[in-house]
Amino acid sequence: MLRKAMGFMVSNPLSGVVGVLALIVVVASLLSENFLNSYNLVIIARSLAFIGMITIAQSMLMILGELDLSLGAIGGFCGVIGGILMVKLGLNPWLAFALCLVIGALFGLLNGLLVTLLRLPSLVLTIGMAGVYGGLNLVITKGVAITGIPADIGFLGSGKWAGLPVPFWIMLLFLIVACFITLKTPFGRYMYAVGSNLSAARMLGIRADRVRLGVFAFAGFLAALAGMLMVARLGSAQPSIGDSWVLGPIAASVIGGVPTTGGIGTPLGAIFGAAIIGVIENVIVLLGISPYWQSMVSGAIVVIAISLDSISRRYFKRD
Amino acid sequence: MKIVKASVVLALGILASAGVASSALAADGPGTEKHDSYRFVVVPKVVHPWFDKVNQGAQQAAAAIKAQTGSDVEIQYSAPQSANVAQQNEIIERAISTRPDGIIVDLLDPSGNRTVLQEAQEQGIPITLFDSINPEGMNLTTVGSDFCEQAEMAANRLIELLDGQGKVAIMMGVPTAPNHAERARCAQAVFDEHEGIDVVATGVDNDDINTAQQQASAIMQANPDLDGWVASDAAGPVGIGQAIKEADKVGKVQLVGLDDLSQMLVLIKEGVADSSSASRPTMQGYWSVINMWQLATGAITPNHIDTGNVMITPDNVDSFVE
Repeated sequence: MLRKAMGFMVSNPLSGVVGVLALIVVVASLLSENFLNSYNLVIIARSLAFIGMITIAQSMLMILGELDLSLGAIGGFCGVIGGILMVKLGLNPWLAFALCLVIGALFGLLNGLLVTLLRLPSLVLTIGMAGVYGGLNLVITKGVAITGIPADIGFLGSGKWAGLPVPFWIMLLFLIVACFITLKTPFGRYMYAVGSNLSAARMLGIRADRVRLGVFAFAGFLAALAGMLMVARLGSAQPSIGDSWVLGPIAASVIGGVPTTGGIGTPLGAIFGAAIIGVIENVIVLLGISPYWQSMVSGAIVVIAISLDSISRRYFKRD
Repeated sequence: MKIVKASVVLALGILASAGVASSALAADGPGTEKHDSYRFVVVPKVVHPWFDKVNQGAQQAAAAIKAQTGSDVEIQYSAPQSANVAQQNEIIERAISTRPDGIIVDLLDPSGNRTVLQEAQEQGIPITLFDSINPEGMNLTTVGSDFCEQAEMAANRLIELLDGQGKVAIMMGVPTAPNHAERARCAQAVFDEHEGIDVVATGVDNDDINTAQQQASAIMQANPDLDGWVASDAAGPVGIGQAIKEADKVGKVQLVGLDDLSQMLVLIKEGVADSSSASRPTMQGYWSVINMWQLATGAITPNHIDTGNVMITPDNVDSFVE
């Protein structure tokens, strides 16, 4: 039994990142008496929910060998569109919510079309598209938040179910969906094939561009979902929503075993990576570390986490 | 005799009870609760030199309370890395989970911060706001100056310098920051009242000195006959001043700055800027902590503590240099 468990740990690609997360949680709980209190665990879960949805999206794109740096901007812009639909146009909040998810998917699809049709590198293209979505956001709002979001959808952002925030449950649901797609369907296998070697995948008859378009659209959908849930949480559509959702999800995915070169890793690993970053950011504030040191400390711990995982991978040959 | 003794004991008992009750009432009165130590968390909008001055004022107040009462006051300064409401809310939430005696916040957006402030109140943690306006339906003490008055002071000073005639530009700060937007709006309103003043351009610097410099350079290229500048944030005038120096327009283009960052004071001393309309961040930090301490002692605090604005000119600039 013990040998089986050890064997599983050694052969499982996630054991490194889970081990690092467990270590950080233990250290955090020893350093701060407030770390394990229920209120703090709820706020960790809530912040993980929002960044987690973008991380799921980004990790799926990274499995393909792509990146979308406009996901935060899509989330923010969809939140503002949702605010306009609900407050200025008086649309039913649930209908507006659903419409924004469709619009988010279309924005993602547009990114995918530009990448596949124009054969542009997704990194460069989506930097530009982030400017387009973020710019449109400012043009429409003039930088001013849209207030008066109907209370009907407030539960989605601020509510709790079984003691945990509703956005966390929604993130878990989409994590299961993403893992199912990537690990259990032919589409998922095509994703890994495209990410490993695009030319070889095409030669095998895989419609690579369709796969890429599908993932870009799904990523846009998840970004819009995160944006709309944040609108529900804040009770206002803030033009700044999504500003901090750019680099964190990429770092989380890399920590969780999804390299930017594509072809390996899972959304589940990426979520563990996001949890590591979330716990570090949480405990840094709990310990009262100076804000001028926070980025350095947080960055250094992330580098140590990646290094530990990489060393353990090489040692145990888990890849 | 027994009845007399019993009556005396009863009377003494009643008197003693009354005495205890009255002294208890006195101890429970406003501002009479004493603690050996206090811990207040200061959450500014973002990591920024202006907020370092707020923190400095907060530390001064902590030292003053310690000197006067003997109680230890710990100030925990916790700033978001970027000016983002969601990120600021997370910082406030994390502060709540440490159960401080109070949280002092500069709100990025009252509507967006409202939910988390309510959470703090539900947890019984008092809040003081600085440099902010109250979210709708909340009645928290605010400490700070009048943003509109600050911008009007700068705009009127520039009009005076230009003798009521000329082309001017306004540098906006972060478009999503309500205080920056209010200052820009108020400066524009003052200029609109003067027929001889023409606002020919508006820049956006996102509270960043380099961006302000680039924007100011471009605007001065496009408007070679520009006569003067005002700004809506602390970083803006520093960048504008550098652009004026680079374009060799010192003395030809007037600059009335905002706030009292050290670079701003240097620009005034060098003669690049005429003056600066400054709020008093150190005083805001100081009085926020004093208000928080008063709340912790059970005192009833005012709705607003006005720390005022001051015009820094070459005559008084030395008194602001640390």
